[in-house]
Amino acid sequence: MTTEKTTRAQALKAEPKSRTTARTSATTSATAGTATRRKAAEKSGEHVYDTLIIGAGFAGLGTAIKLREAGVHNIAILERAAEVGGTWRDNQYPGAACDIPSNLYSFSFAPNPNWSRSYSGSKEILGYVHSLVNDFGLGSLIQYQQNVSRVEFEEAQGIWMIHTDNGKVWKGKAVIMASGPLANASFPNIRGLENYKGKKIHSAQWDHEYDFTGKRVAVIGTGASAIQIIPELVKKVDVLKVFQRTPAWVMPRPDFSTSDLSKKVFAKLPFTQKAVREALYWAHESMALAVIWSSPVTRLGERLGQAFLKSQVPDPWMRRQLKPDYKLGCKRILVSNDYYPALQKENCELITWPIANIVEKGIRTSEGIEHRVDCIVFATGFDVPKSGTPYPIHGVGGRELAKEWQRGAQAYKSINVSGYPNLYIMFGPNSGPGHNSALVYMEQQIAYAVKGIRTILDSNLKMLDVKPDVQAKHNANIQKRLAKTNWNSGCKSWYLTEDGFNATMFPGFATQYAAQMGQFDLKAYRQVPVEVNA
Amino acid sequence: MPQLDLEKTLRRIKENQWALADIDWDAPGREMITEEQWPKLKAFMADLTWIEHIGARGFAAMAKKAPNDTLREIYTWFHAEEQRHANAELALMQRWGMLEDGEIPEPNINLRLTIEWLDKYSDDMPLSVLGSVIPMLEVTLDGALCKFLLDEVKDPVCHEVFKKINSDEARHLGVDFHVLEMMGHGPMYRLALESIATAINPKLLLGVAVYFPLLNRMRDNIVTMGLKEEKLYEAMAKFEKYGGETPEGRRNPWYQIMRLHGKWVIDRKNRFYHAPVDAAVKASNYIPKSWLPAVPSWVNKLTWHTTA
Repeated sequence: MTTEKTTRAQALKAEPKSRTTARTSATTSATAGTATRRKAAEKSGEHVYDTLIIGAGFAGLGTAIKLREAGVHNIAILERAAEVGGTWRDNQYPGAACDIPSNLYSFSFAPNPNWSRSYSGSKEILGYVHSLVNDFGLGSLIQYQQNVSRVEFEEAQGIWMIHTDNGKVWKGKAVIMASGPLANASFPNIRGLENYKGKKIHSAQWDHEYDFTGKRVAVIGTGASAIQIIPELVKKVDVLKVFQRTPAWVMPRPDFSTSDLSKKVFAKLPFTQKAVREALYWAHESMALAVIWSSPVTRLGERLGQAFLKSQVPDPWMRRQLKPDYKLGCKRILVSNDYYPALQKENCELITWPIANIVEKGIRTSEGIEHRVDCIVFATGFDVPKSGTPYPIHGVGGRELAKEWQRGAQAYKSINVSGYPNLYIMFGPNSGPGHNSALVYMEQQIAYAVKGIRTILDSNLKMLDVKPDVQAKHNANIQKRLAKTNWNSGCKSWYLTEDGFNATMFPGFATQYAAQMGQFDLKAYRQVPVEVNA
Repeated sequence: MPQLDLEKTLRRIKENQWALADIDWDAPGREMITEEQWPKLKAFMADLTWIEHIGARGFAAMAKKAPNDTLREIYTWFHAEEQRHANAELALMQRWGMLEDGEIPEPNINLRLTIEWLDKYSDDMPLSVLGSVIPMLEVTLDGALCKFLLDEVKDPVCHEVFKKINSDEARHLGVDFHVLEMMGHGPMYRLALESIATAINPKLLLGVAVYFPLLNRMRDNIVTMGLKEEKLYEAMAKFEKYGGETPEGRRNPWYQIMRLHGKWVIDRKNRFYHAPVDAAVKASNYIPKSWLPAVPSWVNKLTWHTTA
């Protein structure tokens, strides 16, 4: 572990290119022999990894780094695309950026002193993800274009079998499901969607070849992606029609470019960046009082939101259309300084009439008008698995996770599910943050999973399976706490299932989540050792 | 009227959407409008367009007050449908050569005052008030005016359009009376107390001051255009009939207030009511336009164009 840290610290001082080469060659020489043996075993389909990681996004790469730090080297990362980056690779639409300050939206163990802005754009974040691969020499672990189609637990040997689209079967003692909750683009259920003959683009599958100049464009959705896309598109297109269903709370974004001086200070004196990160962490923690629970701070936040709306939108009717009628925090809070001004540009129109259907040339709304457009941008978010899984997962005795989650997903501490031993779900049920950086939560999940995997390997366990009663008790407590939160206060959001079950969010401070994940209680698990004669 | 299955109603609303583009606005029949009819019809259609907007603005406010998601969504669609009716009526005016390019007809002063009130205060009004006034207005004005129009105008396109409009309105009235009845549930003393508390709200009193003259103005306009006054009263009686069909509907104090008011309107001999209200109509003619604030921006969304 120390060697890793030292190497990285040395590498950070070096030029990026030489850093990469130095790191990669060091790793390669150390594992050359093992790699050859592994490749031969892989070919024959016999190699059993200590851990298989699904997804090479933040979570997958972060887990790989920490597993190796904990001495687990026999690992592979299965990535469905040809590039790393997950959500940040897919979401490269114009204006894509993070809602959390970069100093907090990065791993604490891999600080980047060179962030160009307080809130970085997606390209820069993707660059950071790439730097993780280079700096920590993860390249050799990643198996690209391995789209997982099925995951099954082989009980007799205590081995997970991961089937990929190309017919391969990967075997692992443990699995990290790091495919992410925001992995699959979701198209809205609108009548006649298939009849539209113009261009269709989803925010998460952006077509960079399409030239928007002079086009008539519709944007469906006014969520987190839309409010970043709209200010960019309105600069290029002839006409932009924004179709809003529910207005969101929009707050000002304290975005600024970082000075060269601060970059130098952060690089030379890392503790200063650590202090800034700490300050940002506690600033976001305090926001929980407004976002998670209904309190006087919530009312204060709502007043701020209303004042911001009033200061940016002079027309009362437009303000009425943009004013949310649910509690602050019930749905995701958005931050933008240029969304409201973009909506008021001459070539932009905010349409709040319900969409009746989509026809060959455009969108018909219920006020009887056909809005003709050359392109429809679907900023309609993701298919977040609240009651299903992105691929079939079969546990002990062939049980299927999607079936068990039909009425709402649940897990133990958001990461383990009873009946699915040795499986760790990153951003599993009730791990969602509403007020703080997802990476703060992710680091806790990674640390927990590493403890679990270390236990499996150290004790030579076939199964480390959370006890069903422990899981049930944990969830009863989570749901009891959720009942008192703003998310469960009556609005419809992607946090909830159709029945109003909240399988998404963690009802507390990030500090509380860290405390929950900090305790690895072996008594909560059923431990089945590998039979000696097996 | 029987209680509705609101979920089923919402599904039907979504399934039965129509657009201006579904109608052939250039089809033959425009020549059936006589020269004598033309000016009267122009004034009539202008009023009708704005009456649709009274309903529209009312539904917009009701969507904010709806007690459940389904009703909220229904009212959101109704708001849009009223705008569609206004757009379709404008398209008819365009077909009949009544609009210069880009022209939107002006509302009469009492409609203008009512719209002003709706825009300022309707979002603050309880569902009980809005849910009682809107059906009365829809039955009375919409009902009577549409009937008159179809009796007088032979243009088949006009009939085609109003067949669609009336089908939407039938659903609106179904929900209107369902809600009217819904609000008659609960202990009588609570309903009465709530009604008294609302009735003494100065915003509501101001609403009354614009609403009463509006009805008398429309009555006068209808008579000028050749519609028998009784037709308006027949339509008003429908409110009393449908709203009072069930005990719950009759227990709604706002139904009783609207019914009583309807009786006053119908009774032309009731000088205590009509003398001051008619005087208010006359007085409103003298309100200078410059005193009125700018029209709300939603007015600019009106269009006879089928595509945008």
